Amino acid sequence: MADEDILSDDLLRQLMSVGEADILVGIHTHNNAKTIGQLVQIVREGLLKYFPRERVAILNVDGGSQDGTTDLVRAAAISDVRDATPFYALRTLHCISTKYNDVPSAGRAMHIVVAAADLLRAKACAIVAPESSEIQPDWMNRLLRPIYREHFDFVAPVYGRQRFDGMLVTNLMYPMIRAVYGKPIREPRPGEFGFSDRLVSELIGHELWTQDAGRIGPEVCFTVSALADDARIFQTFLGPKGHVDHQPADLVAALRQTVAPLFWSMDSTYASWNAINVVQTLPSDGPEYEVGMDPVHVDLTRLHQMFASGVVDLQDVLKSILSTSTLAQLQSVAALDETNFQYSDELWVKVVYEFAASYHRSVINRDHIVQALAPLYRGRAYAFLTENLNASKDDLAEHIEALCRTFERLKPYLLECWTAQEGGS
Amino acid sequence: MASAPTSLWYKEAVIYQVHVRAMYDSNGDGIGDFRGLAQKLDYLRDLGITAIWLMPFFPSPLRDDGYDISDYTSVHPNYGSLDDFKVFLDAARSRSIRVIIELVLNHTSDQHPWFQESRSSVDSPRRDWYVWSDTDTRYRGVRIIFLDTEMSNWAWDPISKAYYWHRFFSHQPDLNYDNPAVREEMWNVMKFWLQLGVDGFRLDAVPYLVEREGTSCENLPETHVVIKELRQRLDENFPGRMLLAEANQWPADLRAYFGNGDEFHMAFHFPLMPRMFMALKLEDRKPITEILQQTPAIPDPCQWCLFLRNHDELTLEMVTDMERDYMYDEYAHDKGMRLNLGIRRRLAPLLDNDRRRIELMNGMLFSLPGTPVIYYGDEIGMGDNIFLGDRNGVRTPMQWDGGWNAGFSAADPESLYAALILNPVYGYQAVNVASQKRLQHTLLSWMRRLLQVRKSSPIFSRGSIESLYPANHRVLAYVRKLGSETVLIVNNLSASAQAVELDLSEFKGNILVEMFGRNIFPRIGELPYLLTLGPYQFYWFRLRRI
Repeated sequence: MADEDILSDDLLRQLMSVGEADILVGIHTHNNAKTIGQLVQIVREGLLKYFPRERVAILNVDGGSQDGTTDLVRAAAISDVRDATPFYALRTLHCISTKYNDVPSAGRAMHIVVAAADLLRAKACAIVAPESSEIQPDWMNRLLRPIYREHFDFVAPVYGRQRFDGMLVTNLMYPMIRAVYGKPIREPRPGEFGFSDRLVSELIGHELWTQDAGRIGPEVCFTVSALADDARIFQTFLGPKGHVDHQPADLVAALRQTVAPLFWSMDSTYASWNAINVVQTLPSDGPEYEVGMDPVHVDLTRLHQMFASGVVDLQDVLKSILSTSTLAQLQSVAALDETNFQYSDELWVKVVYEFAASYHRSVINRDHIVQALAPLYRGRAYAFLTENLNASKDDLAEHIEALCRTFERLKPYLLECWTAQEGGS
Repeated sequence: MASAPTSLWYKEAVIYQVHVRAMYDSNGDGIGDFRGLAQKLDYLRDLGITAIWLMPFFPSPLRDDGYDISDYTSVHPNYGSLDDFKVFLDAARSRSIRVIIELVLNHTSDQHPWFQESRSSVDSPRRDWYVWSDTDTRYRGVRIIFLDTEMSNWAWDPISKAYYWHRFFSHQPDLNYDNPAVREEMWNVMKFWLQLGVDGFRLDAVPYLVEREGTSCENLPETHVVIKELRQRLDENFPGRMLLAEANQWPADLRAYFGNGDEFHMAFHFPLMPRMFMALKLEDRKPITEILQQTPAIPDPCQWCLFLRNHDELTLEMVTDMERDYMYDEYAHDKGMRLNLGIRRRLAPLLDNDRRRIELMNGMLFSLPGTPVIYYGDEIGMGDNIFLGDRNGVRTPMQWDGGWNAGFSAADPESLYAALILNPVYGYQAVNVASQKRLQHTLLSWMRRLLQVRKSSPIFSRGSIESLYPANHRVLAYVRKLGSETVLIVNNLSASAQAVELDLSEFKGNILVEMFGRNIFPRIGELPYLLTLGPYQFYWFRLRRI
């Protein structure tokens, strides 16, 4: 059942006009006037091309734009009042827009989309990031077709990325989710994804919407919920994606949007993942993974320094999070100069698993745990970059695969930490 | 509100389309006839119709259900004699029912003496009455209408060793309207029937009268010249008679057939009909409002003629490819239901025999601007038989009662011109006039009431239309105005209940009076007017300032 508080009266009136929908596309915006017009045009073109007979609505949930974003969305509607040239549609295509009063929040916006999907009884929904400059009309088909026509519950995207884009995903989110939930979701925090009415029913009353993790990182919670629900998941290759456009430059903020929701979701879905010890393949279309070889521009020395100083500065905090053995190994690594630096996959995996377990046990403030991961991740990123600076595409893929296998091999260690009575060992 | 002048009778008419053969067989030969039709006029009068449109009843080889005429001034012996026709005409007049007959101007049967004479020799005085050619390459690119049966618009005549032009079946050669003698003869034909007392003609296939190289051979200026000439003669000699165009064209092309009020009095609005069905299935008013927006204004004495179904297939010529595919998938999933570019089904089966949808579609038919046409049997929800060839599946005998041959004929069932519908849903024992007359809430009774309400105000026949565009696109709403009178029509195209807010600020202070039950609805105030409608429900409200 929809949460009545989440939907404004104005939105309810608009939804009343939409009635029942087969397909709903949600777009969360906040001052996206520069890109939103073109994006909505492409979404509309894709919907008309691939779902010409379906009842379709585009719902823009806006976090208080002052630049006319919502007007641009509404202008894309196709009705019997507005001339839709050059597009032709059999039926009305609704483009509706609503603003919420809180500070801009992806979780709030997604909650509204889910509530609207529930009210409209939409059979298939998609979320599209407002800044997706690479979007093509066929993304609508790729995201929605598996749900609408093939009865999948969740469609996760695969993007073509540059080799060092999204290292938080390749070094933590992807391998950890793969090991923990047994499914290789390449983009656990997708800008675009699709979901079914069944998933809407599961999520509409979910506690994630009331938690910081859900408010800040709803995409991860969404993905993990689908995994924990044993939903039918499909991966679709959407093509190239710009440089981590949804990921803030601030690493701590990025961790709050990705790692925190993952840890939180693991906490609430333990029963569904603790016994998983195999990795399934997922049905998909297109390549599973594609990387570009653009040159990297990172200040490696500074990255190394931030890691080394972080380990020293946060020593007391890390003591309460990490085991004595892991902390000691970490401190040894931090003491190495750049020339001799070595940060093994195994150490990194243990660090991550111990952080997750400590988050679960709330050994200290959970947000402090997430923040404390930042310098340790920098060390891992430094190691990954230096080791793969001259690696080929295949080598890079093999290194990531090896890391995944380490996450999987050490899953018993995660369970051991998770179920330990007290922090530290 | 005063009625229209008598000369504008067609604007306020409710037309009933029937083939004489299908109505009632008075002599037990298995085929309906004029004496039988005359016996059923009381039924039609009670239904409330004001005009009958008779499909071709002339002598004919009947290879196209009478649209292949071999004698324009007589009656096919199957249906009686010319005297029988006169008896019928008098009986109709005595009940104030007008009679419109069909005239196929464009072509004759190849059995017509004119064609026989024409083909007999290149020196025949009637050689130039048809369009002959030594090659089949003239008028290249002109579309073929009967795609399922014809490969070309030219047919080889082995007798005269030349090709003749035909836009329809090859046994229907086109007359040559560039020949003044042909135009004169066709006027003589019209004059013959007008002198007997018919009130108008439905002129078949009018866009194709004249051919010109390098054109589509449709809607040519020369065709309009022919029509204007006929209309002028009609007005001069028989004022108050009416011409109705069958021109399956887009609204912009159709507009030309009204001329400046000096061509046709009425024309069928072909593009509207499939869009009504489409809107109903889509549960979206867009197809209807769009075609209404594209419908041009017509001269004041002129009128659109509206229909839901007729004797032909539900034509999908005037829709886009996407729309046609949708209509086929939704309304003719069985390929046997498809014919040419259309769907050969009756109204009730098209709408899954859903009484609510049948009522809604009729409600729109009778409230949109134009003169409505009821196809015989649709007023009781008759079914069809897609296993009969061509369009014969929608031309089966009228189902009068549950007795012998549905009360249509005393003949042996095997000798009927077409098999009766026998299935449990639409068979004559389930669907017939007698049983529906017995109850107040049958479709027939409801149709009678609909016609009464329609005829209670000339606003439906002569009023203007203004579409409303409420945010709820499943609701089709429009306002009809005539003089100081206003009627609001609200239709729910959806299978589920709907709420709709209507901007009626222009009518603030008026109360709404529902026209079927005469109940009063709240006064229109400052706020948008909120209405709720059940599935497929519609309202007709008269606005009153009290």
